[in-house]
Amino acid sequence: MAPGKGSLFERRDDSPVRMYHVSKSYIAGQTAISDVSLELAKGEFVFLTGQSGAGKTTLLELLFAAERPNEGQILVLGRNIARLRGSGVPALRRRVGVVFQDFKLLPRRSVEDNVRIALDVVGTPRREARSRVFNVLRQVGLQHRRYHEPMALSGGEQQRVAIARALVSEPEVLLADEPTGNLDPDLSIEIMELMLAAATRGTTVLVATHDISLVERYRRRTLRLEAGRLVEDVPAAGGLE
Amino acid sequence: MSRALVVLLILGRSAIVGLRGAAVTAAIAVVTIGFALFLVGAFALTVVNMEGMLERFGEELSVIAYLDDEVDDDRAVAIAERVATIEGVERVAVVGRGEALERFRDIAGGAALLEGLEENPLPASLEITLGDASRTPEGLRILSSALDGLPGIDEVGHGSEWIEGYARATSLVRVSGYALGTVLCLATLLIVANTIRLGVYAREDELEILALVGASRTFVRTPFLLEGTLQGVIGGALAAAMLGLAFLVVVPQLEYGLTFLLGNVAPRFFDAGELAALVCGGAVLGFFGSLAALFGWRR
Repeated sequence: MAPGKGSLFERRDDSPVRMYHVSKSYIAGQTAISDVSLELAKGEFVFLTGQSGAGKTTLLELLFAAERPNEGQILVLGRNIARLRGSGVPALRRRVGVVFQDFKLLPRRSVEDNVRIALDVVGTPRREARSRVFNVLRQVGLQHRRYHEPMALSGGEQQRVAIARALVSEPEVLLADEPTGNLDPDLSIEIMELMLAAATRGTTVLVATHDISLVERYRRRTLRLEAGRLVEDVPAAGGLE
Repeated sequence: MSRALVVLLILGRSAIVGLRGAAVTAAIAVVTIGFALFLVGAFALTVVNMEGMLERFGEELSVIAYLDDEVDDDRAVAIAERVATIEGVERVAVVGRGEALERFRDIAGGAALLEGLEENPLPASLEITLGDASRTPEGLRILSSALDGLPGIDEVGHGSEWIEGYARATSLVRVSGYALGTVLCLATLLIVANTIRLGVYAREDELEILALVGASRTFVRTPFLLEGTLQGVIGGALAAAMLGLAFLVVVPQLEYGLTFLLGNVAPRFFDAGELAALVCGGAVLGFFGSLAALFGWRR
């Protein structure tokens, strides 16, 4: 679906995420994403919904340059994903936090180590890194668990560690792929609140989920994918946050 | 502290974590490097000592003219004076029968051979030293032919054939060392490469996370290169230690064989520079082994 009337597509110059007629197929003739155009504003919190196989994960992968589009253009933080080469990918990913359903934590490293990894890659001095890790763990309420290994934590706590890792480098964009997929409803709300707080601080947040109850609860802008096509772009109920 | 240094410390820590995480495979790689370099080092040590011997032969190259039994001391001196006038001769020394006997007694096993002999069987001789320019096989041949017709001289002996044979043997040992070294180094490279590749597979989750949080290719790969290099350094040090131990323990057991190989020259061990080269060789093997492991690996 092309950005329609009422969307912010033509009006924003500082949008951190823009997609123009993007298509992606892994096998010829089978499109995972088809002619998707969208734009996300700075500090905006957006849900990406759709059934399994609708293309949510592919869309997120395109945004953090794990995949390249077959057609169209994607601009993330001013960088054209289709043309990103060599050191461009890591440079982009340092500004884009990603959270996954399966947490992707290192089981034999402490919580602190797991979060610090995002600071290590940019050579943050140890003392500064420890302080920043402590602060972000405090934000997600896990500062007292920093020396534990992830396996000693509950699912919700593990996802909070993953969010802390994504947020510690103060990304401008946060992408979350089914972040509450493995969690019970109470923990899901906890996780959503953390991501909403990040949006409040100016991070653009895109959360892929098929949990309609969460979408309805928060009533934020919602993009709906169907068979790779963007079929609906519902603005936030209370206007743009 | 500069950012580059911080990154280096982080990468160093990561390499050590990686080594700890795969301690058994890393130990196998270290021991393999150690044994490969031990064998290469043993060849190198043999060649170094044989070349030292050759060098000494070159410096001390002399011709020995054995005198007839009836030549007395005065006549021996007269013959020596005449020989000294031959072109290319630098110095002539007379070795009397008694001195020859003493020298023979001093060499390994000589005293035992002389036991029971009532008469000195050794002839007097002239030790003829050639000048630098004449110290060549051609110079030796000219001198030999000049000595051939001189009265009082029974036989002329010089070691040129022996030296040439020794040089060929040294060359053979050296070439064998190169061949063996090449095979061993290739085998070691493969083992290090496989060890590092196992480490890469074992840490794929971590590498995936590193890639997701924006680690550069260099950041991801450097710990593995450091790991390989560190394994190589430890392997090289192990080889040096094994060679040192072997030198201390084995050399005294091989006294007669070494006397045959090196004459009376005491075998020498590697100096500090050569030992450092051995350890560096290990580092190079480890580095290129891990580079081979990462070659073509993309994430």
